[in-house]
Amino acid sequence: MIYLEDLVVGQERAFGHYEVTEEEVMAFAGRYDNQPFHTDKEAAKDSIYGGLIASGWHTCAMFMRMVCDAQAGQNNLAMMGSPGFDDLKWLLPVRPGDVLSVRSKILSATPSDNKPDRGTVRMQNWVLNQNGDVVLEMTNMGRYLRRPAGQGV
Amino acid sequence: MKYFEDIELGEVWDLGSRLVSEDEIVEFATQYDPQPFHTDAAAAEESFFGGLIASGWHTCAIFMNLLADTIKLQELASLGAPGIEYCRWLVPVRPGDVLHGRTTVVEMRPSRSKPMGLVTCRTELINQDGAKVAELQGVGMYGCRPVVDAPGRAPGEIGALA
Repeated sequence: MIYLEDLVVGQERAFGHYEVTEEEVMAFAGRYDNQPFHTDKEAAKDSIYGGLIASGWHTCAMFMRMVCDAQAGQNNLAMMGSPGFDDLKWLLPVRPGDVLSVRSKILSATPSDNKPDRGTVRMQNWVLNQNGDVVLEMTNMGRYLRRPAGQGV
Repeated sequence: MKYFEDIELGEVWDLGSRLVSEDEIVEFATQYDPQPFHTDAAAAEESFFGGLIASGWHTCAIFMNLLADTIKLQELASLGAPGIEYCRWLVPVRPGDVLHGRTTVVEMRPSRSKPMGLVTCRTELINQDGAKVAELQGVGMYGCRPVVDAPGRAPGEIGALA
């Protein structure tokens, strides 16, 4: 279990490997973001993007999958979901054939004022492509349980 | 086609409604957010949430689904989006919920370098009980109305903004 106390401010991690396929770009967008530059190869060529690009929300979803894979096996029952995120920027288009990874830095880990068993973590996250370019950045929040009293590290 | 010039500050877009099924919650989360409270109904019962809930990213995707359908219906000249200023997942989204989207145009400014405008919108997603499940504010890019054969304009001005 990872508790709030285990998340050290300033700690940075790099993880993830996600190969973006044309099939998945079109499948996600066909269902959730049906705009020609996400779903129609020919129309995308004539768009301002010059070719098919992933929905920004698809990039967020792929980011989340990499986070989950990095936490796999940790059985993290102390994670209580997320209240949201701030300052999300889709900086560069994500295209079929790109390979994505994540860099993450813990900005703060703050115990709750009114609920002594939990707290909120703020993390800066970057999604990078195979060239090391940042394609997405955002500040995410996560709610975690605090380590129960009397339980050692 | 509706262009940047056709959008008005303060305008409200009704994005319509959308059912969120258990199958869809599990399918999305299995692919993109495989945590037990999103993918496993029995495990979710034992979790902090007391039952299956949708991934927050799924809620955002559903918002986009409603917005993309509205863009298509209204024939808005959407050119994508540079980002989201904030998003808050306020109340869990559960199987069977019907989410209704309402978007308000809160800021508009023309691009300095391209024939497009930046439109800041705040969206609320409300469930069937009237509870606000998510609120987000982001910027969208919309193309400007093409200028054709405008008399008296220098060629360099055509389609150029601010």
